[in-house]
Amino acid sequence: MECSPLYRQAANMKKSLLDQGYLDEQFHQLEELQDDLSPNFVEEVVTLFFRDSARLIAGIDQALEKTPRDFQRLDGFIHQLKGSSSSIGAAKVKNECSAFQDHCNQGSTEGCLRSFKRVKREHAALRQKLENYLQVLRQVSPSPMKAAVRPK
Amino acid sequence: MGLEDGGSAAGAGEGGGGEGERFRVLVVDDSPVDRKIVERLLLRSGNLFEVIAVDGGKKAIEVLGLNYADCSVDLILTDYCMPEMNGYELLKAVKEHKLRKSIPVVLMSSENNPQRMTRCQAMGAEDFILKPLKAVDVQQLRHYTRPAAAAAVAMEAESAAKADGKRKLPPMKVVGENKGSERQPRPRLARVAVS
Repeated sequence: MECSPLYRQAANMKKSLLDQGYLDEQFHQLEELQDDLSPNFVEEVVTLFFRDSARLIAGIDQALEKTPRDFQRLDGFIHQLKGSSSSIGAAKVKNECSAFQDHCNQGSTEGCLRSFKRVKREHAALRQKLENYLQVLRQVSPSPMKAAVRPK
Repeated sequence: MGLEDGGSAAGAGEGGGGEGERFRVLVVDDSPVDRKIVERLLLRSGNLFEVIAVDGGKKAIEVLGLNYADCSVDLILTDYCMPEMNGYELLKAVKEHKLRKSIPVVLMSSENNPQRMTRCQAMGAEDFILKPLKAVDVQQLRHYTRPAAAAAVAMEAESAAKADGKRKLPPMKVVGENKGSERQPRPRLARVAVS
């Protein structure tokens, strides 16, 4: 199984995600938590992240449309998004969230709007790449998520 | 345990292992992603922990209020930044409560804020862990847990003493308890800057 083209493809995709900085070491930590008792843990967490982050992004969108800007509320949303991004190893999204937070702290509407565009762009890019990766993993074996776990 | 709307309980049958004592951990975090990850970390730790997970401080207070009679929570592991009732406020509520104050509380935060850590330590937090949590962080938690059985004995004794009109605090045998001058250094002291 480990020599199959699909397995190699999945491994290469993950390596690419790590090399390009979309994911960091924390993603490995998630994979380490996957086992026979929780064979789909990584996919479950990733799914949960994108569901929750979509809610937070919608909240930020709404908050940015209101005037005057409630920077405290904005900071609350982005703090949550940054936290969950960090928890799954979504490095680029996390970094863009940090930049957004800086603009919030400075009370800069223009800065917030610019950096939020980058947050959404990185979020969308990661979503696509992880969906592709997980799709390949599902094809690898009957318990496809086992293939995501690094050999010990 | 009837936890609904933001709460879940898990722990039985996970992680293999024998029939050793398991510690019941109340995980409090408004992030569903973090709750799931922390719960998994705890359940993977060699069958040491049972987990109750709730999504906020107010729900945690409900759980503690409902279950204290059984002394069923051995450790509270709470996020710091939460809406409505943050981790510090939860810590304060626990430590200022006559019956709950002995429950160890460990806080988690994604922000390395020394003032925050100092404040929590002063309020009686056992530790302050930076997120994202790692397996090694979770392994250390067992040093802070308080066996439910020991707490139940303590509570019964206290109730009996009150009934007698004599206030006595029986010795509480606590796994991993650090007593006075024999206090073991906390694994995370280096992260808590005391100004």
